This record gives sequence, C-alpha cells and structure tokens, in this order.
Amino acid sequence: MDNAKNIIDLHDVQGNIMVNFAGYGCHKSRYFFLHISNAAHGRMFIKNITGLVSTAAFMAEKDEDGLIIPPLVTTNIAFTYNGLKELGIPTLTLQDFPDEFVVGIRNRASILGDDLTSAPEKWDAVYRKDIHLFISIDGANEALIEERYQQIKDIIDDSLKECKEEHLVPADQASGIKILDGCRDDESDNKAYQDASVVYEEVDGQKIPTAKEHFGYTDGISNPFFKGMTPEMGEVLGGGKRVGYGSPKSPASWEPIETGEFILGYKDEANEYPAAPIPKLFSKNGSYLVFNKFHENVGKYHAYLDAASQKYDIEKELLAAKYVGRWRNGAPLTTYPKKADAEDAWKVWSAAQWQVGKLFAAIMELKGKIATEQDPAKKDLLIQEKKKLLAEYFGAAANFKVINQTFTAFNYDDDIPGSKCPVGAHMRRANPRGALEFGNKNAFATPSALDNRRRIIRRGLPYGVPTLDSNDKEHGTIIMTIVSNIKRQFEFVIQQWLNYGNDFKLANDKDPITGNMGEEGGQMVIEGNPALPDDPAKFLLEIPRFVETRGGVYLFLPSITSLNMIGKGIVDPT
Amino acid sequence: MPNQAGKAYGLTVLCPLKQVDAEGKSVSIKIKNTLWDLQMPEDKITNEDSEKSVVTVQAPDFFFKHVPNTYLARFYILEDVFYEDYPYELEHLKSKYLVFTSNFYGDLEPYLKGMFENAEKEIKSIWQDCYGFDSKTINANSFADYIKKCQVETTFFFNGSVEPEPKNSPNAKARSLQEQIKSLYLKQEFSRFVFQNAHKKPEELLDAFRKFVQETQPEAEFPRWKAGGNDLKTIVEKG
Repeated sequence: MDNAKNIIDLHDVQGNIMVNFAGYGCHKSRYFFLHISNAAHGRMFIKNITGLVSTAAFMAEKDEDGLIIPPLVTTNIAFTYNGLKELGIPTLTLQDFPDEFVVGIRNRASILGDDLTSAPEKWDAVYRKDIHLFISIDGANEALIEERYQQIKDIIDDSLKECKEEHLVPADQASGIKILDGCRDDESDNKAYQDASVVYEEVDGQKIPTAKEHFGYTDGISNPFFKGMTPEMGEVLGGGKRVGYGSPKSPASWEPIETGEFILGYKDEANEYPAAPIPKLFSKNGSYLVFNKFHENVGKYHAYLDAASQKYDIEKELLAAKYVGRWRNGAPLTTYPKKADAEDAWKVWSAAQWQVGKLFAAIMELKGKIATEQDPAKKDLLIQEKKKLLAEYFGAAANFKVINQTFTAFNYDDDIPGSKCPVGAHMRRANPRGALEFGNKNAFATPSALDNRRRIIRRGLPYGVPTLDSNDKEHGTIIMTIVSNIKRQFEFVIQQWLNYGNDFKLANDKDPITGNMGEEGGQMVIEGNPALPDDPAKFLLEIPRFVETRGGVYLFLPSITSLNMIGKGIVDPT
Repeated sequence: MPNQAGKAYGLTVLCPLKQVDAEGKSVSIKIKNTLWDLQMPEDKITNEDSEKSVVTVQAPDFFFKHVPNTYLARFYILEDVFYEDYPYELEHLKSKYLVFTSNFYGDLEPYLKGMFENAEKEIKSIWQDCYGFDSKTINANSFADYIKKCQVETTFFFNGSVEPEPKNSPNAKARSLQEQIKSLYLKQEFSRFVFQNAHKKPEELLDAFRKFVQETQPEAEFPRWKAGGNDLKTIVEKG
C-alpha cells in the first residue's frame, strides 16, 4: 500500500515521531520539564495546550505548488508515569505500562551503564526531580522559541484561572503546575530549560547550519523507515529492514519496518500488536520517548585521537572514521574506505543537499513577493519565475534523494571481517544491518532478523559550544530515542550492543565513542585487511569515556486523541 | 428478516468520514471530541460552603434521552480493521467510518425522522464531516434517506427488549420503551420493598404492599424511570 495516510493517521501522531524537525529548518530547540501538584489544573493545561501540539500532518498536505511547508515552530509533549498518575489516569490503565517506564530511567542506571561519572547523582538537578511532563519546542530561530515558551507559560496561568472560573479548584488555589529548574549550562546550574542548537560552520564569513555533533561527525543520516512513512520522511534503502542478499542499492533488498516497532496500535515485527495500556484509544498512535542529555568530552576525544593516530600509525581522519563507521563528513566507511573517495562523495552529497535548500528558500521568497505584488504584469512574471524554480526544485529534490542513497544504502556483506568498517564501530553496533549473520546466509529467517526488533528513532540537537580542548564545560548532545518498547529496543541496544561486545564476538569491548568505559579505559579492535601485506589489526587501548550521561527521562508520547482524553479526564479502561 | 425481531429494530450504520474538514483539521479527532463533549455535564453544582469547597458534578447526560423509543444507542469511530495475527494478511479500510448503532422500538423511518426532529443540532454536529451528508440542506426526510444508504443489514444484534413468553415463538414481541422503563422501575422498587419489609407480620406486610402498589401504580404509565437516566437516586419520573 502506497497511501501512507491510510496506515498512520498523521493528524493523530505527534510530529517528532515521524519527522526530524531539525531537518526541516528548526535549527533551535528548547526542552523543559514540569511538575504537577493539582490534577484539575494539570488536566486543564493539557486540554488547552493540545491545540499547539505539532503533528506530521503537514508532510501529507502539500500546498498548491506541491510543496511541503514545514512549521517554523513546533511543540511536543510527553509524560512520565508519575505524571500520568498525578493527572488521574485510572489504575487499570497505569497497571498496563511496562516496568521500566514505571520505575523510570534512574532506576535502570545499572542496565544502562550509567555509573561513575554518568551516575544519576551526577546528573543535572532537574533530572533528579519528580518530572511529570516534558515539553519540547523546535524552532527556526531563538525568538520563535522564546515566543512559544512564553505562550506555554501563559497557558499554564490561564488554565488556573479557567479552573477557578469553572469552580474546579478553590478560589485560592495556588498554581498546580511548576516548571522545574535545575538544567545546567555554562552560566547557571539552575535554569528552567535546556536549550539546544545545530552546530554552525563558518564558510566565507557565513554561519552555515550543519548536522554535526561536537566531535565533528555528521549525525542522524540514517533513521528507521517504517510502514506509513512517505518517501519525504525517510529512505527505505538502509532505513528499512533487509529482506534479501541482493545489492544494498536495490529496492528489492529492503522493506519498510513494521509500524508497531515505533508506534503503538500497529502490527510489529513479531506480527502482533505491541503491548500497550488499555483503552486502546488511549495508547494507539502513541509511543515512548527516552530523553537523554549526553555530555561530550571533546578535549579527551581530540587528545586521544591525536595520540592514538601517532601511536598506532593511522591517519587521524581514518581513525576517527573507524570509531564510528562513517567519515566525519557522513560518508560510510564500508562504501568509501578511502578518504579521497569519501571527500568526493561528500562534495556531491552536500552540493545536492545545498541546492535543494537554496531553491526552496528562493521559492518561498518568491511566493511572498507574489502574494504582495499588485501589478498584474509583474505578478505574472513572478509566477513564471516560480514555475521555473519549482521545476528545478523538484528535479533537485529527486536528485538528492538518489544521491543520499550513497550515504544510506549499504550493508556489511562485503566487509564481514570488518577490514573497512570495524565490527566494533559505533554505527555497526547500533544498527548491524544484517551483519549479525556474520556472512552465514540464511542463518535466520531474514538477514536482519536479529536487528529488526532493536531499531530506534533518534531525534535531538547538540547543546553548548565547546573548544577543541574542552571537557568540563557544558556541551554535548540531546538525544531523544523513540521506540514502542523501551526495554527491548533502547535498553537492549545500550546494554548489549554499546556497552558490551558479545553479540559481535568482541568479548566485553564497548562502543569506542559512547561506551561507559571504566577508569582503566576501553579497548577497540580495528581489524586489518589480511589480503594486504602491511595492514595488520590494531588494538586501541585505554580509550577514555568520551560520552557521559548528564540526564535522562522515560516518557510516554501520547497521540492527540489521547491528549484530548487526558485533558478531559475521560480515560476509561473498563 | 434482517434488522428486526418483532417490534425491536437493530440499526447498524457505517458512514464514511472525510479525512479532514474544511479547515484542514482531522475529522476523526473532531468527531471524537464532539461525542465526548456531548456526554459532558452541562451544569456544575458547586458547594462552596463546605470547608474543602467540594465540587459536585452532575452525572453525564446524553442527548439520546430526547430521542423516543431508543433502548440503546452508541457511536464510535471505526479507524481501521484489526489485524488478526499471523498468518493473516494485514488489511486496511479505504476510509474511517462513523459507526452508529441503535436498538429501538418500532419501524425505521419514523424512528429516524423522530431522531432528527428531537436532536437536529447534535445530528448536524456529529455527521457534518461525513461523505454525502450536507448539514445545510439536510431535513428529517433526507436524513432518513441518508442513514438508509449507509445502513448495514444485520441479523444478529443486541436486543434491548423481547417479550419473554411464549418462548421461541415467532410472535415474540418487544416491549415498548415505556413498558420497559416502567418494568425496570417496578423491579427496582419491588426489590427495595422486599428488603424493607421482609420481617414484618402478615397484616403489616399486607398494609405495606398496598402502600407499595399505591405508590408505584403498576398498571399506570407513571411513575417510571426517566429515559436516559443513569443515576438510581434521581431516575424516577413522576409524570
């Protein structure tokens, strides 16, 4: 079925599940956390904010020119277990939530490897408080974010007034909703929100937004592609699940993953509905969101990279690529094992991407001019110009879609021993793309049978501005992981694939970038190529902990229908 | 005969929903909200005198109590078909549907017209975004025609009331709603009578029973239950 709209109700699913808003021009984000002490005020707030909550409906509703017009500012909202309880969700519904969600992320620290410098007691104060609600705002600029933030604060105040007018609370009731402080940045350790932003690069005196995180890697290139997504929402080649042994560049080798791996109420990869609370209307089109604040020790990363490249006699950029499985520009190591080829591929990729953005901006500018132009003759000329640009834009978008596949459509079938992309590289651990068969074709029902149920959607942006030697300042990445089962997907990937190596036949080696290395440091094997005379395996030792957890929350990300039910106080599991 | 059992009628209607309304808003979310709001209490009784300023809210009231002869009616949105587990194929509906089922006494056409006459505002607000429903031109006759077009024949439905005797007879007849709510009222009151008077002496019991008959008027139309009532304390209608 190609009509995505009939599979997933895009009006009902929160937009951040389907779309990476940062990829649609929302280059800034603000995240904040609330505590509810009065259920009536809380419900009224939910009722009144639901109209602001962003969906992905805009992806399916193209304008008169066939363009997708993304929002300039978005709002999404999610709840902790305690938050749902505080809002009066019935016990029968609450009992159906999975254990890990009920106990919360701090109580799963030992599973997640959040120890030593990542231990919950080291987290920003806000993540140690009783968080009930999480709100994220994504926006094209800081002013829009601030405006939306103030609007939400007004809704909190107005909701209390409304409760009083309707006699739902006593006339002297104090606010039952508090924005929690305790977010840390370089200025304060007690802020009421966490801001985040894309990383900019200066090109010819201009600040250009990038998709890089602070170690310099282009991030978020390949996210899962599942049933119900339109082609604009992702790429099935590399984003879907592997269904054959043909070329990874062939559409016949991939299929969209079942929707139920990411959204509740749909068939999943086990051919059943994911476990979800009743009533079905409450959980359908909802999902789980794991919020994480990950600090990046940029100084340690660069220092180790410099020292290791000398010690092991390996070119620095290549070593950086071996950690992750992609060159820092985003080109996959397994397709482009040579730096020069990767750079050429990136030039084509980034130019194609740039062209799409440039044409879209030009068309939007022209549309503005057409709307205000009074002179019919001039208006006609502008319309002709727009027509020309639209043709160019659609051509450029189609071109980028094909070129982007060079960065997504790959697997490790030609590189089972890992001589191009190490078996322990971050990307190969987090999404093995069928490599867990280790080349034994038909070992399982499908090549990627062992990883289809471990896929995760990643959203988020970097925060802070580090220098190359900076470790202790506030900089890192906010990662929001979206899954239909926190334990099976998020926790498993962290525990078994990033902080352990057994599934990859790497004993207890950890992920070189994100692993929770102890004081003795971690190790990594960079496999050599036995076919070459002078390419022996290298054993990196004493890898420090580059990424530390500074906060986390397990959240339920309900549908719009569910938000309506919570707001009206009519969740009825009987 | 489909849809009917004696004078009881089982109506099942599937009305296809537009995906978005004139403003581009999701129709299924909008109808869910409309239906929920129609059930919400209109009046709030407040008791500001007590120390805690306790707020008492009236039990929800559904507009169907104004539609005559309805035993039981319900609405829901059919968003998609259920997946019946492996190895069945996963199928999808072409659109979402507003499902309306009603179990009532009498014939279809007069019932639908009576429904429109007694709940025109609510009908328009619920059905306005269904394919083929024009809330500007709809009237009692065209509403009945529209519903009949969307009707799904059913031979198996929850029957609100059937005369118990004679058993299995094709002549088994449904009680009218009035008869039924009178019977339910009598049953409730008789239970109360039994519990209150169980240990009385025969002469006292006879007096009490006479009083019971006088108060409940078993042969008369009133008192009886209110149509649409859902609170045992306030359900009695004196007439």
